[in-house]
Amino acid sequence: MEKDPSKKEDKNQEEQANNSSLVQKIQQLGQSNVPTAPDSNTHVLSIIGQVEGHVQLPAQNKTTKYEHLLPQLIAVEQNPKIEGLIILLNTVGGDVEAGLALSEMIASISKPTVSIVLGGGHSIGVPIAVSADHSFIAPTATMTIHPIRLNGLVIGVPQTFEYMDKMQDRVIDFVVQHSDIEEEKFKELMFAKGNLTRDIGTNVIGTDAVEYGLIDGVGGVSHAMLKLNEMIGDHQGPEEQVIQ
Amino acid sequence: MLYTPLSITDIFPSSEQEFQKRQCVSYNGRQLYVEEMEDGQFQVLQLLSTDPQDFMNADFMPGTILR
Repeated sequence: MEKDPSKKEDKNQEEQANNSSLVQKIQQLGQSNVPTAPDSNTHVLSIIGQVEGHVQLPAQNKTTKYEHLLPQLIAVEQNPKIEGLIILLNTVGGDVEAGLALSEMIASISKPTVSIVLGGGHSIGVPIAVSADHSFIAPTATMTIHPIRLNGLVIGVPQTFEYMDKMQDRVIDFVVQHSDIEEEKFKELMFAKGNLTRDIGTNVIGTDAVEYGLIDGVGGVSHAMLKLNEMIGDHQGPEEQVIQ
Repeated sequence: MLYTPLSITDIFPSSEQEFQKRQCVSYNGRQLYVEEMEDGQFQVLQLLSTDPQDFMNADFMPGTILR
């Protein structure tokens, strides 16, 4: 009598295994092949969700891990076939030092770089957006500029405050150096009251960001590609031309 | 009943198992972020590449089961 239920269980498991492999086959066969295109001379770096740095976020968060992007940036710089880089941004911000690391890496790439802010490029997304050689923002996209924050346990309040104050200056310096915005204007937006209901800062929308000089232009994919191709042409210069 | 501005993960941290199931692997020369399924196979979560053509390749599409 005891054997029967176990046998039944075995059969059940087998059936389940069969079912799952069938489901997998359907999942895998339901895809079509795309004809292979020639290697693209422009590569794309998408920074989506939260910028994840020193702290690993819970699994349900959509994050961009900076340790994944840094080697990719090196690869873009090294590969002679890659002539330009487009950075797609739709981020709510995240780790300040990870964001600054990415910004510095993008800013120091020798190849032409163009960034597009789609949806949102908030907090630390602002330095990342301006770090490219040329930046675009979609007309409906927004950027929240606000002072940096810290949550969690703080040990040594005065020291931490001083450290945060310096970190704040690093962010401001970077943005001012890599965009056309005046330091005074940026600080004014950052510490403005009454724009974000109960918080200080400003939510800057597409055209306003361009007006303040933070972003170079309003545009989307076609504008960015056009600009990048133009910059690639300039970057290669006349030395590439064959003199006959 | 909880009424709080904190996110659910701040109150109930997700288990270590969730993290252990996910890992970064190299597959056909591309870096893929994969999740281990219950039957031990790996399913693609994300393709980590800067080449736009890689995203046109069905082998690297999210949801694909690696063989």
